[in-house]
Amino acid sequence: MPSASKKKRKKHSQKKSELDSALDQVGDESAEAAIKEFQDLLGQAKGDTSELVRQNAEELERRLVLLKDRKIDKEDFDYFVENQKRDLRVFVDSQPAQDQERAEKLTLQVLEIAATKVVPILIAMI
Amino acid sequence: MNSTPLSRNVFLCVTAIFIASCGTATFTKTGSDAAIESLRSFHLAFIDEFAVPGKKFNAAAFNAKVNEGNAKFQQAIADEKFTARRPVLVDLKAQFDADAAHLKSKASHGKITPALASEMKKDVNKIYNHALGQ
Repeated sequence: MPSASKKKRKKHSQKKSELDSALDQVGDESAEAAIKEFQDLLGQAKGDTSELVRQNAEELERRLVLLKDRKIDKEDFDYFVENQKRDLRVFVDSQPAQDQERAEKLTLQVLEIAATKVVPILIAMI
Repeated sequence: MNSTPLSRNVFLCVTAIFIASCGTATFTKTGSDAAIESLRSFHLAFIDEFAVPGKKFNAAAFNAKVNEGNAKFQQAIADEKFTARRPVLVDLKAQFDADAAHLKSKASHGKITPALASEMKKDVNKIYNHALGQ
Protein backbone atom coordinates (compact mmCIF):
# COMPACT_ATOMS: atom_id res chain seq x y z
CA MET A 1 0.00 0.00 0.00
CA PRO A 2 1.95 2.98 -1.24
CA SER A 3 -0.30 5.59 0.32
CA ALA A 4 -0.03 4.07 3.81
CA SER A 5 3.73 3.81 3.52
CA LYS A 6 3.94 7.41 2.37
CA LYS A 7 1.76 8.52 5.27
CA LYS A 8 3.95 6.60 7.73
CA ARG A 9 7.16 8.20 6.42
CA LYS A 10 5.60 11.64 6.64
CA LYS A 11 4.55 11.09 10.25
CA HIS A 12 8.08 9.93 11.12
CA SER A 13 9.69 12.96 9.49
CA GLN A 14 7.35 15.30 11.42
CA LYS A 15 8.77 13.92 14.66
CA LYS A 16 12.30 14.80 13.64
CA SER A 17 13.64 18.06 14.93
CA GLU A 18 14.98 20.72 12.59
CA LEU A 19 18.45 19.97 13.94
CA ASP A 20 18.15 16.21 13.33
CA SER A 21 17.02 16.87 9.77
CA ALA A 22 20.06 19.07 9.16
CA LEU A 23 22.48 16.60 10.74
CA ASP A 24 20.97 13.71 8.75
CA GLN A 25 22.10 15.47 5.58
CA VAL A 26 25.76 15.16 6.54
CA GLY A 27 27.38 12.85 4.01
CA ASP A 28 30.79 12.66 5.64
CA GLU A 29 31.20 9.14 7.04
CA SER A 30 33.91 10.20 9.49
CA ALA A 31 31.45 12.63 11.11
CA GLU A 32 28.65 10.09 11.39
CA ALA A 33 29.87 8.52 14.65
CA ALA A 34 30.17 11.90 16.36
CA ILE A 35 26.73 12.95 15.14
CA LYS A 36 25.17 9.69 16.30
CA GLU A 37 26.80 9.98 19.74
CA PHE A 38 25.55 13.56 20.00
CA GLN A 39 22.01 12.73 18.88
CA ASP A 40 21.82 9.81 21.33
CA LEU A 41 22.99 11.90 24.28
CA LEU A 42 20.79 14.86 23.35
CA GLY A 43 17.78 12.55 23.03
CA GLN A 44 18.47 11.09 26.50
CA ALA A 45 18.91 14.58 27.95
CA LYS A 46 15.63 15.80 26.42
CA GLY A 47 13.81 12.89 28.05
CA ASP A 48 15.55 13.12 31.44
CA THR A 49 13.56 13.46 34.64
CA SER A 50 15.50 16.55 35.72
CA GLU A 51 14.00 19.79 34.45
CA LEU A 52 17.41 21.45 34.36
CA VAL A 53 18.87 18.69 32.15
CA ARG A 54 15.88 18.91 29.77
CA GLN A 55 16.04 22.71 29.72
CA ASN A 56 19.78 22.63 28.95
CA ALA A 57 19.23 20.18 26.06
CA GLU A 58 16.45 22.33 24.61
CA GLU A 59 18.56 25.49 24.88
CA LEU A 60 21.49 23.77 23.20
CA GLU A 61 19.33 22.49 20.36
CA ARG A 62 17.71 25.90 19.85
CA ARG A 63 21.12 27.59 19.70
CA LEU A 64 22.51 25.05 17.25
CA VAL A 65 19.54 25.79 14.98
CA LEU A 66 20.17 29.55 15.37
CA LEU A 67 23.80 28.94 14.39
CA LYS A 68 22.80 26.83 11.39
CA ASP A 69 20.37 29.58 10.33
CA ARG A 70 23.13 32.21 10.80
CA LYS A 71 21.09 34.09 13.39
CA ILE A 72 24.03 33.85 15.79
CA ASP A 73 27.68 33.21 14.98
CA LYS A 74 30.22 30.77 16.47
CA GLU A 75 31.46 33.39 18.95
CA ASP A 76 27.93 33.82 20.27
CA PHE A 77 27.39 30.07 20.39
CA ASP A 78 30.63 29.49 22.34
CA TYR A 79 29.68 32.30 24.67
CA PHE A 80 26.29 30.73 25.43
CA VAL A 81 27.90 27.32 25.94
CA GLU A 82 30.21 28.85 28.55
CA ASN A 83 27.18 30.39 30.28
CA GLN A 84 25.44 27.03 30.30
CA LYS A 85 28.54 25.24 31.61
CA ARG A 86 28.91 27.73 34.46
CA ASP A 87 25.31 27.15 35.45
CA LEU A 88 25.53 23.36 35.12
CA ARG A 89 28.74 22.78 37.09
CA VAL A 90 26.89 23.76 40.25
CA PHE A 91 24.06 21.37 39.33
CA VAL A 92 26.41 18.43 38.61
CA ASP A 93 28.38 18.98 41.81
CA SER A 94 25.16 19.08 43.82
CA GLN A 95 24.03 15.63 42.60
CA PRO A 96 24.53 12.51 44.75
CA ALA A 97 27.87 10.83 43.95
CA GLN A 98 26.25 7.89 42.14
CA ASP A 99 24.29 10.25 39.83
CA GLN A 100 27.10 12.67 39.01
CA GLU A 101 28.54 10.72 36.10
CA ARG A 102 25.18 10.52 34.31
CA ALA A 103 24.36 14.16 35.08
CA GLU A 104 27.72 15.24 33.68
CA LYS A 105 27.29 13.09 30.57
CA LEU A 106 23.86 14.56 29.80
CA THR A 107 24.86 18.16 30.43
CA LEU A 108 28.53 19.17 30.26
CA GLN A 109 29.54 16.36 27.91
CA VAL A 110 26.69 17.08 25.47
CA LEU A 111 27.74 20.73 25.40
CA GLU A 112 31.37 19.73 24.79
CA ILE A 113 30.50 17.40 21.91
CA ALA A 114 28.25 20.07 20.41
CA ALA A 115 30.95 22.74 20.60
CA THR A 116 33.87 20.63 19.41
CA LYS A 117 32.29 18.17 16.95
CA VAL A 118 28.82 19.26 15.84
CA VAL A 119 29.43 22.99 15.37
CA PRO A 120 32.31 22.52 12.86
CA ILE A 121 30.07 20.16 10.86
CA LEU A 122 27.16 22.64 10.90
CA ILE A 123 29.44 25.52 9.93
CA ALA A 124 30.84 23.50 7.04
CA MET A 125 27.27 22.95 5.83
CA ILE A 126 26.29 26.64 5.71
CA MET B 1 -2.79 20.27 83.84
CA ASN B 2 -2.60 23.76 85.36
CA SER B 3 0.29 25.97 84.31
CA THR B 4 1.82 28.43 86.74
CA PRO B 5 1.84 32.15 85.82
CA LEU B 6 5.64 32.00 85.58
CA SER B 7 5.72 29.11 83.09
CA ARG B 8 2.92 30.75 81.09
CA ASN B 9 4.91 33.97 80.91
CA VAL B 10 8.07 32.13 79.86
CA PHE B 11 6.08 30.33 77.14
CA LEU B 12 4.56 33.61 75.87
CA CYS B 13 7.93 35.30 75.92
CA VAL B 14 9.62 32.49 73.93
CA THR B 15 6.74 32.48 71.44
CA ALA B 16 6.96 36.26 71.00
CA ILE B 17 10.73 36.09 70.40
CA PHE B 18 10.25 33.27 67.85
CA ILE B 19 7.54 35.18 65.96
CA ALA B 20 9.61 38.38 65.99
CA SER B 21 12.71 36.59 64.68
CA CYS B 22 10.70 34.96 61.88
CA GLY B 23 9.31 38.34 60.92
CA THR B 24 12.77 39.89 60.82
CA ALA B 25 14.16 37.04 58.69
CA THR B 26 11.27 37.28 56.25
CA PHE B 27 11.62 41.02 56.02
CA THR B 28 15.40 40.79 55.40
CA LYS B 29 14.96 38.00 52.84
CA THR B 30 12.35 40.08 51.06
CA GLY B 31 14.78 42.99 50.98
CA SER B 32 17.50 40.75 49.58
CA ASP B 33 15.14 39.39 46.91
CA ALA B 34 14.17 42.94 46.00
CA ALA B 35 17.86 43.84 45.57
CA ILE B 36 18.32 40.88 43.21
CA GLU B 37 15.20 41.86 41.25
CA SER B 38 16.56 45.40 40.95
CA LEU B 39 19.87 44.04 39.59
CA ARG B 40 17.93 41.87 37.13
CA SER B 41 16.02 44.92 35.84
CA PHE B 42 19.26 46.84 35.41
CA HIS B 43 20.98 43.91 33.66
CA LEU B 44 18.08 43.39 31.21
CA ALA B 45 17.84 47.15 30.50
CA PHE B 46 21.60 47.16 29.81
CA ILE B 47 21.15 44.44 27.17
CA ASP B 48 18.13 46.26 25.72
CA GLU B 49 20.17 49.46 25.41
CA PHE B 50 23.30 48.02 23.80
CA ALA B 51 22.26 44.80 22.06
CA VAL B 52 20.46 46.63 19.27
CA PRO B 53 21.16 45.46 15.71
CA GLY B 54 22.48 48.29 13.53
CA LYS B 55 22.88 50.75 16.40
CA LYS B 56 26.17 52.69 16.36
CA PHE B 57 28.32 51.68 19.33
CA ASN B 58 28.80 54.53 21.78
CA ALA B 59 31.86 53.56 23.84
CA ALA B 60 31.48 56.40 26.35
CA ALA B 61 27.83 55.60 27.07
CA PHE B 62 28.67 51.89 27.25
CA ASN B 63 31.53 52.37 29.71
CA ALA B 64 29.44 54.71 31.86
CA LYS B 65 26.66 52.09 32.07
CA VAL B 66 29.16 49.33 32.89
CA ASN B 67 30.62 51.48 35.68
CA GLU B 68 27.11 52.13 36.99
CA GLY B 69 26.46 48.38 36.93
CA ASN B 70 29.71 47.59 38.73
CA ALA B 71 28.82 50.08 41.47
CA LYS B 72 25.31 48.61 41.84
CA PHE B 73 26.60 45.03 42.12
CA GLN B 74 29.35 45.98 44.58
CA GLN B 75 26.84 47.88 46.71
CA ALA B 76 24.43 44.93 46.68
CA ILE B 77 27.24 42.57 47.74
CA ALA B 78 28.30 44.91 50.55
CA ASP B 79 24.69 45.39 51.74
CA GLU B 80 23.78 41.70 51.68
CA LYS B 81 22.98 40.61 55.23
CA PHE B 82 22.83 36.88 54.44
CA THR B 83 26.48 35.91 54.07
CA ALA B 84 25.41 32.71 52.31
CA ARG B 85 23.90 34.83 49.57
CA ARG B 86 26.99 36.85 48.81
CA PRO B 87 28.53 34.19 46.52
CA VAL B 88 25.26 34.22 44.55
CA LEU B 89 25.59 37.98 44.04
CA VAL B 90 29.24 37.48 43.07
CA ASP B 91 28.06 34.95 40.43
CA LEU B 92 25.50 37.47 39.13
CA LYS B 93 28.21 40.10 38.85
CA ALA B 94 30.43 37.62 36.97
CA GLN B 95 27.56 37.12 34.51
CA PHE B 96 27.18 40.89 34.12
CA ASP B 97 30.95 41.23 33.49
CA ALA B 98 30.87 38.41 30.90
CA ASP B 99 27.80 39.89 29.17
CA ALA B 100 29.39 43.34 29.07
CA ALA B 101 32.60 41.95 27.53
CA HIS B 102 30.70 39.93 24.91
CA LEU B 103 28.39 42.84 24.05
CA LYS B 104 31.32 45.25 23.73
CA SER B 105 33.10 42.88 21.36
CA LYS B 106 30.00 42.30 19.23
CA ALA B 107 28.52 45.82 19.26
CA SER B 108 31.83 47.53 18.46
CA HIS B 109 32.06 45.34 15.34
CA GLY B 110 28.40 45.83 14.39
CA LYS B 111 27.70 42.11 14.86
CA ILE B 112 24.61 42.25 17.07
CA THR B 113 21.66 40.16 15.91
CA PRO B 114 18.11 40.05 17.32
CA ALA B 115 18.69 36.39 18.27
CA LEU B 116 21.80 37.30 20.26
CA ALA B 117 19.89 39.88 22.32
CA SER B 118 17.00 37.50 22.88
CA GLU B 119 19.21 34.58 23.94
CA MET B 120 21.28 36.79 26.25
CA LYS B 121 18.12 37.93 28.02
CA LYS B 122 16.97 34.32 28.40
CA ASP B 123 20.29 33.46 30.10
CA VAL B 124 20.04 36.51 32.35
CA ASN B 125 16.52 35.59 33.46
CA LYS B 126 17.59 32.00 34.07
CA ILE B 127 20.54 32.89 36.31
CA TYR B 128 18.47 35.38 38.33
CA ASN B 129 15.67 32.83 38.73
CA HIS B 130 18.21 30.33 40.04
CA ALA B 131 19.64 32.99 42.37
CA LEU B 132 16.15 33.51 43.78
CA GLY B 133 15.62 29.76 44.11
CA GLN B 134 12.86 29.75 41.49
